[in-house]
Amino acid sequence: CTKELNQQPITSKSLANFLTTETEVEEYVNAVYGTLQLNGLYGLYLPAIGEIPSDNTFDEVPANDGGMYGQLDQFTTVSSNGMLSDFWKNSYQGIQRTNTVLNRIDGISYASSTVKQARKGEMHFIRALLYFNMVRVFGNVPLVTKETTNPNDYFGQGRTGKDLVYAQILSDLSNAIQELPVSTTVQGKVIKTAAQSLLGKVYLTLGKFAESKAVLADVVASGKHQLLADPADIFALNNKNNNEIIFAVQFASGINGNSEGSSAYQQFSPSGTISGAKGHNLPTKSFYQLYSNSDKRKTAYVGLTSAGTPFSTKLKASTTTPADGGSNFVVLRYADVLLMLAEDENELDNAEVAKNYLNLVRRRAGLTDAVQQTKEDIRDAISLERRLELIGEGHRWFDLLRTGTAISVMNAWFASQNITTRITDHDLLQPVPQDQIDTDPAIKQNP
Amino acid sequence: QQTTSVKGTVVDEKGATLPGVSVMMVDQVTKKQESTVTDLKGIFVFNNVKIGNKYDFSFNYVGYEKKTTPAFLVNPGTNNSILIRMETSSSGLNDVVVVGYGSQKKTKITGAISQVKSEELNKYAGSNFAQQLAGKSAGVVINDASAQPGTDPQIVIRGIGTLTAGVSPLVVVDGFPLSEGSSLNTVNPQDIETVDILKDPASAAIYGSRAANGVILITTKNGRSDKNTVSFDFYTGAQVRADKVELIDGYQFAQLNTEARDWGYVSRNPTNRSVNDDYATRVSKGANKRDLRLNYIQPYLNNQAGLTNTDWLDEIFRTAPISSYNIALSGGNDRSKYYFSGNYFDQDGIVIETGLKRYSMSFKFDSKLSKSFDVGLSVNPSYNLQNFFQNDASRSSDAIGAALIMYPFFPARNKDGSLAISQQIAANTPEDGALGENPVAIMEKTKYNRNLFRTFGNAYLNFKPIAGLTFKSLLGGDYSNSFIDFFSPSDVGEYRTAAPKPARASETKGSVINYLWENTLTFEKSFGKHDINIMAGTTFQKESGNSTLVSGTGIPDNNIDNIAGASSFSVVPTRYIWTQLSYLTRLQYAYANRYLFSAAIRRDGSSRFGQDAKWGNFPSVTGGWIVSREDFFPKAGWIDLLKLRLTYGKAGNNQIGNYSAYALANPLNYVSGSTLLPGFAAVNPANSSLSWETKTSYNFGADLGFFKVLNLSANYYSMVTSDLLLQVPVPSQSGYDSALQNVGRASNKGLELELSGANIKLGPLSWNFGANLATNKNKVLELGPGQNQIVTGTNSAFRTKVGGPIAELYGYNVTGVYKNQSEIDNSPHVAGTLLGDYIVQDVNGDGKITPDDRMGFGTYAPKITYGFNSSFDYKNFELSFSINGIWGRKIYDNGLVNMESGEGFSMADTYYYQNRYHPVNNPNGFLAQPNTNYSANRLNTNASSVFFQKADYIRLRNVQLTYNLSPKLLSKLKASRASVYVTANNLLTLTSFRGFNPDATSDNVLTSGYSYSNYPVARSFVAGFNLTF
Repeated sequence: CTKELNQQPITSKSLANFLTTETEVEEYVNAVYGTLQLNGLYGLYLPAIGEIPSDNTFDEVPANDGGMYGQLDQFTTVSSNGMLSDFWKNSYQGIQRTNTVLNRIDGISYASSTVKQARKGEMHFIRALLYFNMVRVFGNVPLVTKETTNPNDYFGQGRTGKDLVYAQILSDLSNAIQELPVSTTVQGKVIKTAAQSLLGKVYLTLGKFAESKAVLADVVASGKHQLLADPADIFALNNKNNNEIIFAVQFASGINGNSEGSSAYQQFSPSGTISGAKGHNLPTKSFYQLYSNSDKRKTAYVGLTSAGTPFSTKLKASTTTPADGGSNFVVLRYADVLLMLAEDENELDNAEVAKNYLNLVRRRAGLTDAVQQTKEDIRDAISLERRLELIGEGHRWFDLLRTGTAISVMNAWFASQNITTRITDHDLLQPVPQDQIDTDPAIKQNP
Repeated sequence: QQTTSVKGTVVDEKGATLPGVSVMMVDQVTKKQESTVTDLKGIFVFNNVKIGNKYDFSFNYVGYEKKTTPAFLVNPGTNNSILIRMETSSSGLNDVVVVGYGSQKKTKITGAISQVKSEELNKYAGSNFAQQLAGKSAGVVINDASAQPGTDPQIVIRGIGTLTAGVSPLVVVDGFPLSEGSSLNTVNPQDIETVDILKDPASAAIYGSRAANGVILITTKNGRSDKNTVSFDFYTGAQVRADKVELIDGYQFAQLNTEARDWGYVSRNPTNRSVNDDYATRVSKGANKRDLRLNYIQPYLNNQAGLTNTDWLDEIFRTAPISSYNIALSGGNDRSKYYFSGNYFDQDGIVIETGLKRYSMSFKFDSKLSKSFDVGLSVNPSYNLQNFFQNDASRSSDAIGAALIMYPFFPARNKDGSLAISQQIAANTPEDGALGENPVAIMEKTKYNRNLFRTFGNAYLNFKPIAGLTFKSLLGGDYSNSFIDFFSPSDVGEYRTAAPKPARASETKGSVINYLWENTLTFEKSFGKHDINIMAGTTFQKESGNSTLVSGTGIPDNNIDNIAGASSFSVVPTRYIWTQLSYLTRLQYAYANRYLFSAAIRRDGSSRFGQDAKWGNFPSVTGGWIVSREDFFPKAGWIDLLKLRLTYGKAGNNQIGNYSAYALANPLNYVSGSTLLPGFAAVNPANSSLSWETKTSYNFGADLGFFKVLNLSANYYSMVTSDLLLQVPVPSQSGYDSALQNVGRASNKGLELELSGANIKLGPLSWNFGANLATNKNKVLELGPGQNQIVTGTNSAFRTKVGGPIAELYGYNVTGVYKNQSEIDNSPHVAGTLLGDYIVQDVNGDGKITPDDRMGFGTYAPKITYGFNSSFDYKNFELSFSINGIWGRKIYDNGLVNMESGEGFSMADTYYYQNRYHPVNNPNGFLAQPNTNYSANRLNTNASSVFFQKADYIRLRNVQLTYNLSPKLLSKLKASRASVYVTANNLLTLTSFRGFNPDATSDNVLTSGYSYSNYPVARSFVAGFNLTF
């Protein structure tokens, strides 16, 4: 009878005897990628966190969903905001899962050491990506790079200075660049150019233009990526993971009981247009008016409802139910790399080289070459081009933060829109989720 | 000397004949004894009685006072007859109380055990004995949190001492412990003889690791060797809605909604916007959708007569029938006894399309095989069919939740009688009003059937090799098979989704097998002044369950209303096993019938716990002293009984997931192209030392009997739960949100008083009553390491803090409404605070409103609970009533938040409408101004003193008038008992709570008192009769 007291889980796996073979590690790696699909990350909230505070997008019905999007839009965010809470939790779930794989993979034999290296690179990349998002949204965040054995160990840890977090990000990405393969047969896996592109973006964010330029130049030199001729093709459902895409979180409609889609298409559709639509994160009318009529992207990237409300068409309608959107969420793509390079070159006072990169993107959109001459004008032109090119991809607010223009740009925009809101330094970081502070008072709120 | 015969009849207080009464006759001269029992008609006869002698007669019957007729002189002739009226035992001293693995005379009980008898229970018409227990026993709180037919109420015995483990008491039916949380609806209340509640962990400790929440021992009816009876019971009646929710009508709501939208629009930029801006102007000034007036609203604002004005609560509630048919056959001879019953119970819910039908049977058979062998068998099969909806506040599928966002501007049915589908969604889309679907259509078109077949029972063998020694082997079994069938057709929409929508179907099939094998050895002996009883045994119990949920999509039409119509499927299989192995022993000892002592220990091993911590020990020690039996105690005084009791013991709680000690890795897949990449990741950390939580308790009690008719029982208890099975929120950088650990301590202390009186003569009336009152106070003593509080729930409205009570309502304190700008400018406020928003108290006085200004506002757990049961007998009539009440309870009802926040989205109740602030329309209002603008102030104050509501109540639980047919009529009917009665349940509830149900709570202890659209308790009127042959 005593033996009967030892009962093993029947329909779940137990970590104690899991992660012992290559196959099982691969399952864990898949779950790390799967984490990126969660609502708090690229499934729904992160794109809005990166854009809805900006002048690019807004919330059509700010009170919807307990006002959580509306607060970010209107800079009235409270610390109990559910989007930020989920973003924080899901990020650390992902980070912890990468830690688990990295902690264990060395002890597990793989048929191919290249594959094993690649997996480590993937984990380093994803961990860096998650920390990079966190540090941009919250500033200092707790840094954890070990597998958790006892969760109580983290009480009292508090938030790590962002310099240290950035140091970890840089280290992870340089490891990833060493470990990752140039290409992969499995669509959606991280490849070397993804790590390089992200590293370029991190350096750019840190104002290290030369380092950024160097590593982004490697992406160009790899010849792995190119701009597609027609911007309408980039986000087509039948053209996923095309050459322009460097890294995208994968989604699909109608797979496994509709469990692999994203609800972003539904949530980011104008309210009343499809069932369950909430009108979150819609392009503003003033943004839409920035497109010239000859700009192919005006129709390729943005649609209009019958009532004239713009919406991003980068997320395509689902083939099953609206909440099961099949569009991948593009994290890094070649146009972004070119525009970052343009920015690096301009900041390094290479105006012509900068314009060359800028013009690649403009020409593809059917526009004439840039005519700006001064560094400031070129900087503005690049900034505008980033808005037009990357609408709906969750970059604009981070761009404003990175370039130190968030306060001036937003306050000018509010004034032009007859909106009474004005922002200050206080608004540049999001509040740390109250549930984290309630759980462990060592986590302090942003000022 | 000549002889003759003496004949007599024994009746009860109501004149009904009593069969089976033992009668003893003693000849005063010869001291010769003779005994017999009364027959079916309550008649006894002694022949060969000597004429001229005097005889003493004594009459004995369980549950009745012993009666004697001394010195009866026998006369010549045959008219020596005696009529004896037995009275129910007032002291209950002869009552036998079930204590687990045996029973004990009530006089010898040392713990805190309450007994409730069948007659008391069945005065309340319902499917579930737990509903019937409300108010019957001190310290036992029944929360009928969702009163949907077929849903189990929450039973709380002596407060809740756990935080994240289960709170269900252990329910043991005829010795077989049912799985915690399994439905109590499968026990037919009319088969129950007694319910004994082991309240103090010392009494319960014999059930070890499952006893911390108390143990309820149910003894079902049994046959009696001396009479064969057939009993019919039937009642039928109607139930009606009795809650206090009152919605405003269409004209009022039109005004309210427009006020909210107007102020939402203007308040965003008062310098640029005006309430007089028309639709187009508003759009051009950047109004969002909810800043626009509803496009169809003007006729209502104009008070145009005759417009659609639906009260949606009237549409979803109804008057619903309830009835029960019961037949019971019992009897036996001197070797065997049997009890057989069949019951059909049929209750429609007061919410449309809900109800429960139950077919149940009970069969019990006991037989003496020989002098030393007894065997017995019981089987209790039942089949429940439930028309169901998930009472979870979903706006898409919960009728009540959905009704609260339905505007009165739309009808439930079209003129031709057909269901009105998706009308509100279509009309509200342009301005983003509530996109709610007609709940009548949702309920009528959605199929949600839950069928449960269950049978449990046991078989035992008793072997008595020598006098006083009994070996018992009991094999119990419980099998249930459930089938849940769900279909939502395409031709009805849901929240935010107009029809046609994709149809959905699912079904769940599951079965559970549980068996128990128990072997005990009991030795009982009295010698001199010593009475001892020693019991020892082992038990092993194992449960395996499996269920498969199949969900279907891709359903092209509604022809097939189940998953067979689907073209693609997903499957979620679940399986589990748990086992428990236990050793137990107990010594009960009494000296001179007045010094009582017992000690017990149980050792339990459970599969649920970690590798390092599977075993736990649960000891208890109790003592009692019957002072009134001492020689020094005055015999002639008004005190008949004085007993003092003291107990100490430990009991455990093992109600956690079956595999909680393991770090479980669950599926988290990824996709590449259209290829699924299967992934698994850990969802919780491992804890190999996870074990039970332990409740250690002291109980001090006293029993007093006085004036022969009154009994007072008092208990004071103090319990500490340590090693709480706590789902500790942990810093998220660990990768987990929470971890199940044995940490923390909580205490419960309270006082319980029970006063009862029996057979009190008030002139021609005979009065019985029982009154009880209990207090409970809980306190958190310790949480996880470094952890001071747990804040959780919707709007973070619940806090469990060290030094404070469990799950106190937590939020801001509102002191008023801002009515002018200078008030805002001159007081601390959060950014974006608008006129008409709430003034929030700066509790810590730092000049800012921050989360640190939140405070506690009381708990759901009541401070005091009480009950009063009373019955009056007058000739053949009996009038009884029962009251139960709760004091010191607070509820956080999110339905009221929606109805009273003034957001203008949900429907509003009359309380908000009458008391809302509006500078023009209602300048003296004290609730926030209607405003669609969801400012941080409004968001914060959703968890505030405004919405933390008192939910004290006093409820007339049942009133019953019974007429018992006179013995004359009975003999014509050849019946031994017949009665007709009328009953009203929940006739009156006095409460200030404005929500649906003052018992409403969530299942989660840490958010106790959180409610939303909880199914209200109905008021019902039934009439019935009982006929026994």
